[in-house]
Amino acid sequence: MSSGRGGVSLPDIRGSGSSSSEGILTRVTSSINNSPIVYKGKQAAGDVAFVANKLLRSTGKAAWIAGTTFLILFVPLIIEMDREAQLTELEMQQASLLGAPPSTLK
Amino acid sequence: MATLIPPPPPPQAPEKVDYMDLPTPIPYEEIHREAMMSLKPELFEGMRFDFTKGLNQRFSLSHSVFMGPTEIPSQSTETIKIPTAHYEFGANFLDPKLMLFGRIMTDGRLGARLKCDLTENLSMKANAQVNSPNLYFKVLIVCLINVKCGFSSSFVQLTNEPHMSHGMFNFDYKGSDYRAQFQLGNGALFGASYIQSVTPNLSLGGEVFWAGQHRKSGIGYAARYNTDKMVATGQVASTGMVSLNYVQKISEKVSLASDFMYNYMSGDVTSSFGYDYILRQCRLRGKIDSNGCAAAFLEERLNMGLNFVLSAELDHRKKDYKFGFGLTVGE
Repeated sequence: MSSGRGGVSLPDIRGSGSSSSEGILTRVTSSINNSPIVYKGKQAAGDVAFVANKLLRSTGKAAWIAGTTFLILFVPLIIEMDREAQLTELEMQQASLLGAPPSTLK
Repeated sequence: MATLIPPPPPPQAPEKVDYMDLPTPIPYEEIHREAMMSLKPELFEGMRFDFTKGLNQRFSLSHSVFMGPTEIPSQSTETIKIPTAHYEFGANFLDPKLMLFGRIMTDGRLGARLKCDLTENLSMKANAQVNSPNLYFKVLIVCLINVKCGFSSSFVQLTNEPHMSHGMFNFDYKGSDYRAQFQLGNGALFGASYIQSVTPNLSLGGEVFWAGQHRKSGIGYAARYNTDKMVATGQVASTGMVSLNYVQKISEKVSLASDFMYNYMSGDVTSSFGYDYILRQCRLRGKIDSNGCAAAFLEERLNMGLNFVLSAELDHRKKDYKFGFGLTVGE
């Protein structure tokens, strides 16, 4: 088959084939290729791909902005609140363990 | 029904307000200091190190080193940054009646501030700044003159470079339920402001200014309502600026602030929202504004007199990201 070859010589062979109108397969494929349904389908697929790409990009960008903002604004807050809670807990534990002594020591 | 009886006394209490005995309001220029504290931390980019050493109870010296990129104002939308490094030396004198601050930088900037109480109610503030990027000697001379003769001599020097230097005098008078201020600056700048407590919570004020050099004058009004849980302020000026602030103190440690700024002349509108957490080991401030700019400022106390500072600012629209860290030693 001519399709087995590929490379640079392919367009030449196909051009000669269509002019002699010998293969049924090429005629069928060309008629399918030229039909309006296929054309519309291709266009729709192209549009969908375009929209999906845009959507993906914009959601990616939005996620990036939201993520970095969260990282800056809330991650330090969470860490510091956790530290504060730990400190308070430690103090509570010490107070309950030692009871009165800390006040007498101080 | 018994539980409903207690509410009536609180409304009665405000009725008994003695309008001759209202609290002293906050100075006009500090009318939105709570919001500023939460929303305008001193963000920086690069590295800074501050060291303050007290020589005795009243006198202290400060040294600070800064390294990092600084932005250069330009017409284009893209920000241009150049790396800089400078050292700042400062001397402070603190006394209940008199405060003196002097600052000198290696890039040729010199600043001096003075605050003194002339009488019980009248106080004076003076501010002077000299910028001369390539004239170190001049700055040193000004410095020496300043030390010897006080502030008036520095103004003589200031007139040589009218656009680089500023000088300002403020006179504040504190009354029982009002404050008045008179302002005098170089470039024929005159200003006056007055603020009066109207009720125990509400204070109203106004200001006028006249800048002779630029042939501009303006008038402004402000209102401030504060309770122990919230502070709301509004300010309008004839320059077209409208500013509204609201600060809610959720607890002793947490406060939330929001502000709205509108400029009638340029049509700029910005609003921002921020939080301010004061914990035992640290203070954390964060804000986000309508220009797509998020910022956070963390001051962590590592030890007594040793603070670690982290600053971050993301400007998503300009793609300008600023990060800084610093160490503060002493005080």
